[in-house]
Amino acid sequence: MVVITVQLGALITAALLMVIGTIALVYFDNVVKKIIGAAFIGDGVNLLLVALGYKAGGISYIFLQNMEVNSFLGQAAYPLSFALVLTSIVIGASTLAVMLALTVVLYKRHGTLSASTLLGDDRMGEDNNE
Amino acid sequence: MDGTIFLPLMVVIPILCAILVNLLHGTQTITKIIAVIGAICLPVVPLVATYGNSFFGGYAPLIEGGFTASLPDAVNSLVSGTILELFHPAITYSFGPGQQVILFVLGLVAMCAIILSVAETKKTSGVYLYLLFMLSAALMAFTLTDDIFNLYVFFEIAALVQVGLILVSRVKGNYETGLKYMLLGEIGGSFMLLGIGLLLGLTGNVNITDIVMVIHSGAIDPYNPVLLFAAGMLIYGWLYATGLPPFNSIKSEIYSKGLPSGSILLQSFSVIACITIGLIILRIFAYSSTVQMVVLAVSVLAMILGICLAMVQDDYKRIIAYLAVGELGYIGVGLGLGSAYSITAGLFQAVNELMVTSLLFVGFGLVLYKARTSKISKLGGLLEYMPVGALLTVLAGFAMAGVPPFNVFQSKYMLVQAAMVAGIPELAVIMIILSIVTFLAFLRIAYAVFLKPKPEELEVSKSSVPRTSIAIMVILIIVCLVIGLMPDIVVSQLGQLALTTLAI
Repeated sequence: MVVITVQLGALITAALLMVIGTIALVYFDNVVKKIIGAAFIGDGVNLLLVALGYKAGGISYIFLQNMEVNSFLGQAAYPLSFALVLTSIVIGASTLAVMLALTVVLYKRHGTLSASTLLGDDRMGEDNNE
Repeated sequence: MDGTIFLPLMVVIPILCAILVNLLHGTQTITKIIAVIGAICLPVVPLVATYGNSFFGGYAPLIEGGFTASLPDAVNSLVSGTILELFHPAITYSFGPGQQVILFVLGLVAMCAIILSVAETKKTSGVYLYLLFMLSAALMAFTLTDDIFNLYVFFEIAALVQVGLILVSRVKGNYETGLKYMLLGEIGGSFMLLGIGLLLGLTGNVNITDIVMVIHSGAIDPYNPVLLFAAGMLIYGWLYATGLPPFNSIKSEIYSKGLPSGSILLQSFSVIACITIGLIILRIFAYSSTVQMVVLAVSVLAMILGICLAMVQDDYKRIIAYLAVGELGYIGVGLGLGSAYSITAGLFQAVNELMVTSLLFVGFGLVLYKARTSKISKLGGLLEYMPVGALLTVLAGFAMAGVPPFNVFQSKYMLVQAAMVAGIPELAVIMIILSIVTFLAFLRIAYAVFLKPKPEELEVSKSSVPRTSIAIMVILIIVCLVIGLMPDIVVSQLGQLALTTLAI
């Protein structure tokens, strides 16, 4: 029987999030759905980073006076990936906010959320400084 | 005084200026003074800084006596004599001769962009200046950092700032372009973070020097599929950041939507990202000929696509944008060939392109100022209205095409030599032909904008050309000429960076 550990489960979920996000980004025409897809990709990567640092039965990386060094080194989870995820979440939230704000402005201007209408090559070609 | 104190200042000063100009947005005079002082600091600080490393949020490597507190004996016995003594447990900024040249030129270009923005707007926008300073800070950090996650953070900051620069330009279609760029950026940034995460998982490090040490120590198999997948992710992020194919179209779109001062820094981001991320990929995966081949192939494609697409455009901003992307291909070729000489040539090309493309954006900003249109078919006869500006713009175009005695001639000549030495004469021929095509593209623009009779419906502004733009162009042309006539003043320093890149 295949045993799915917490770490493996998290890695599979992360991969699924990235795949679903990529599909949504590529195939959906609705800009909001595309943005959700993009957020899924970012979340998948964050989950992967958390899973990398996960240690079953691990302890936090704080060395206390009464701890024995070898046992601490054996049990402590590696903290760097968690630190990266915290930063990544902040960056992701900022990017998401700007993308949604742009979508609101574009919806008010054009009255549609269709990516092929808003971001299509025809409209993108309207390069005009006059 | 220890000159390495200036290393963090190269990033801190523009960030401080950004915050101040944004806070003091309402007070025009103070905002302008802060902006000008901050702008002047950008090229000056790299000149006064001392070569060395700076460590944040941690310590220097143990072998350098970085951690002064006593470690428990058990830890000492575990660490002593192992690779752990060499690791960098901190965000590390490295500054050497190569970085000095790049940062000086970058600072010069950023200074020109900021002063241009201050001088040529009736009401200085603190928000716009904030964006210019923040992008300058991100680019400085890009060049200095030896920490791949720190690079990612500034990569994302730069991506947001770039969108900001497009949004404030008020060019038609800027919001649409901004959203499209952000959606693509979300994939590019996430994939890059995935690559970084996989490298962290395999090597336990985000410091690039440490990652290289772990891989070359034999602790992990260099051809581990996960490691090669990480290489693929980093290359994807590199393509997105630089605007190499398949992102060449959106990147040229971005350039054409910016104001001239903004476009200068937008293209600087592409150039700096091209060399910094490119060098990281080379350092980590120098053993893999496949990775070098991919870098080389994409770069050749970028050169051909960029220059061919430039030839069929009717908008000169787009022509410059596509040419700028094409020129990035030359830098990539230098990096992809993988020898110390070719990498030096690639870095030299990058430094030159920073200046030459900026010159073109300023020059065609003048055309836009006089004629209020960027469509070549609607332009003509502007030589009569802006003779000095026209002359400087044409000289800038010739510089980009690699006409001697300008600096780009020297770097392209080195790249051709590098291709010949690498045993790929076909590549040398392609580069020469594409330089000729670039030259022809500029002749076409020069004729259409300056020489052909003025269309009757074209209304030319009667106000004189801004003197600040002319002064900036003259300064940059002089620097281009000096480097073109005495290339050794930068090549020897860039060569040291290339050797460091290849050192294991």
